[in-house]
Amino acid sequence: MEAVVQPKSVYLEEFEGRTDTGPEWLDTLHERGIRAFEARGFPGAREEAWRKTNLRPVTAEHFPLADSQGAAPKELVERLGDLGDSYRLVFVDGRLAADLSDLADLAKGLTVTPFTEYDGNPPERLVAALGTRADIDWHPFAALNSAFFVDGAYIHVARGAMIEKPIAVTHIVTAEADRRAVYPRLVVEAEDGAEVRVVERFIGDDQAGALVCPVSELSAGQNTILDYSRLQEDGVATMNIGTVNLAAQRDASLRGAFVGDGGRLARLDLIADLEGEGGEIDCNGIYLTEGRQFTDFHTWFNHRVENCFSRQRFKGILQGRSETVFDGLVKVFEGAQKTDAVQENRNLVLGKRALAHSNPRLEIFADDVKCTHGSTVGELDEEALFYLRTRGISAEGAQGMLTLAFAGEIVDMFRVSGVRDHVRRVLMRRLGVEDADIGEIL
Amino acid sequence: MALLEIRNLHVNVEGAEILKGLDLTIEEGRVHAIMGPNGGGKSTLAKALVGDEAYEITEGEVLFKGQDLLEMDPEVRAREGVFLGFQYPVEIPGVSNTYFLKAAVNAMRKHRGEGEIDAMEFLELVKERAKRVKLDETLLQRPVNEGFSGGEKKRNEIFHMSVLEPQLGILDETDSGLDIDALRTVSEGVNAMRAEDRSFLVITHYQRLLDYIVPDVVHVLMDGRIVKTGGKELAKELESKGYEGFDEAAA
Repeated sequence: MEAVVQPKSVYLEEFEGRTDTGPEWLDTLHERGIRAFEARGFPGAREEAWRKTNLRPVTAEHFPLADSQGAAPKELVERLGDLGDSYRLVFVDGRLAADLSDLADLAKGLTVTPFTEYDGNPPERLVAALGTRADIDWHPFAALNSAFFVDGAYIHVARGAMIEKPIAVTHIVTAEADRRAVYPRLVVEAEDGAEVRVVERFIGDDQAGALVCPVSELSAGQNTILDYSRLQEDGVATMNIGTVNLAAQRDASLRGAFVGDGGRLARLDLIADLEGEGGEIDCNGIYLTEGRQFTDFHTWFNHRVENCFSRQRFKGILQGRSETVFDGLVKVFEGAQKTDAVQENRNLVLGKRALAHSNPRLEIFADDVKCTHGSTVGELDEEALFYLRTRGISAEGAQGMLTLAFAGEIVDMFRVSGVRDHVRRVLMRRLGVEDADIGEIL
Repeated sequence: MALLEIRNLHVNVEGAEILKGLDLTIEEGRVHAIMGPNGGGKSTLAKALVGDEAYEITEGEVLFKGQDLLEMDPEVRAREGVFLGFQYPVEIPGVSNTYFLKAAVNAMRKHRGEGEIDAMEFLELVKERAKRVKLDETLLQRPVNEGFSGGEKKRNEIFHMSVLEPQLGILDETDSGLDIDALRTVSEGVNAMRAEDRSFLVITHYQRLLDYIVPDVVHVLMDGRIVKTGGKELAKELESKGYEGFDEAAA
């Protein structure tokens, strides 16, 4: 065979030349990350899983690591209060912002720590957990993250600890990260019998044309309740491409609340693994796009053992000329009998030139299972709009009412009240119905 | 001044002319019934009066309290006091009956320059009116018409009307699908609203409803025109003779 000289990617060049590496104990993972990226490269145009995601704005240029921390403007800092009472860990341009964080009076059994705080001495369990879930050989952006991240958040809940107050991890991207890359990283471990609520949120400056590649790995031990909310609310110029891994052990209940309404290009690969009998993973999501936004939710739900339940309910509301993808997999492994899996994706297309793709996929290798899926793309019901108007509701109000009702079914499922209230406010604002006198529908 | 004055109304639906020059005047405080065979234009008249865009007005005019009704958006017609009880009430998933009515009541109050209704006052109003039409209270919290039986949907329409208190209530085949009990309840709901300044246009295929909601005037609508107008006895006559004899009258 002829030897081919492989040119180095700009990311490998950056890797070899970088001086800013974060704590030393991350070196091994960094190495693995860049090797995985170099071996895999960016997805080709024909890769089925990436076919609908236009990566040209990402691949056409090099986004070097944001190497300094910009100053978060006041209006972004103010938004930290949106979610109500919570423990707060804040990163700005991928680096800890201690002055914006508030980890005072952590409940017993709860650890919330930035990686950098561990300097030379990270807990073994963190080292063991970090990078075990994210599949860097498969996902090039998870690989890039693993090569370059310099900090991250570690949340650990001890066996049996019940943590009521949510933990909010916020990633702020400033204008100084324009044309730069930011690699947020989160590890959540809930030990057996624990209960915890974690919110991960992305916000940023509208001027920040940054590439944000987050990797989040969450694991729920036996008989735990782990509630995870992910609010992707980046600034309009930002691209956010990342992965979330959810893993549930025996009798664990893992709930996900997903919101996608920011960024010019956003893609999340959500990998859910049911690894212990009696486990359940229940994910509800809503995406709200306008202008020329592109938002893509790819889900990969793996029923690896018997007697598990999973549910995916995602709804899209598309305005303007935006485009969305929901591509959802339910895979039932051999022997995973009595699987109960539900998948639903509904899209409401409000913009005349908006485009929603919906692609449910089932791969079933067991014979005693219950798997249902539904997928719709539609517009507002004209008859319903007219009916509301004949009772005195304005056309604008009627449209808002029906749209909010459509979204409400998902938002009502969000268990963290601060998240629920926040998303309701976002919906009211985005749909422009704050002044339409339609009251408190949600 | 008449409450409603329709002059030479022509309406097309999907290119076909359904109303072909209809004239009708309703004075305040009166109950008019419109009867006629299917396809004669009864429902078209109802939908055209509340501004359904699928019904194209090609000629004629409609004055409501002296104002040009056809110029108004559907919601403005409602706020001015026109109500249609739908033949097929629409299901509104995710929007509770009470919430929806409150938004409607407040939209009307705003139109009249009044403030929002007090929450307690509204709740009492809704409960009292629901009782009047024997609407099961659990239906108040449910999404509008969703999962309602046929009879519950019709009751719900009358319930909406009794909360919104229009000046002109148009009831499009409200009796269809109702058993005698429901028919009586619905009629009582309407009769309780009869007032000097409020009129009704009751559209029905059968005379049965008119035993309970006794009309002041009965019209026969056939082939897009009113072919005969009379008192309540005209309904009885139609019941025994059928519509056949009126074809010639229309010709």
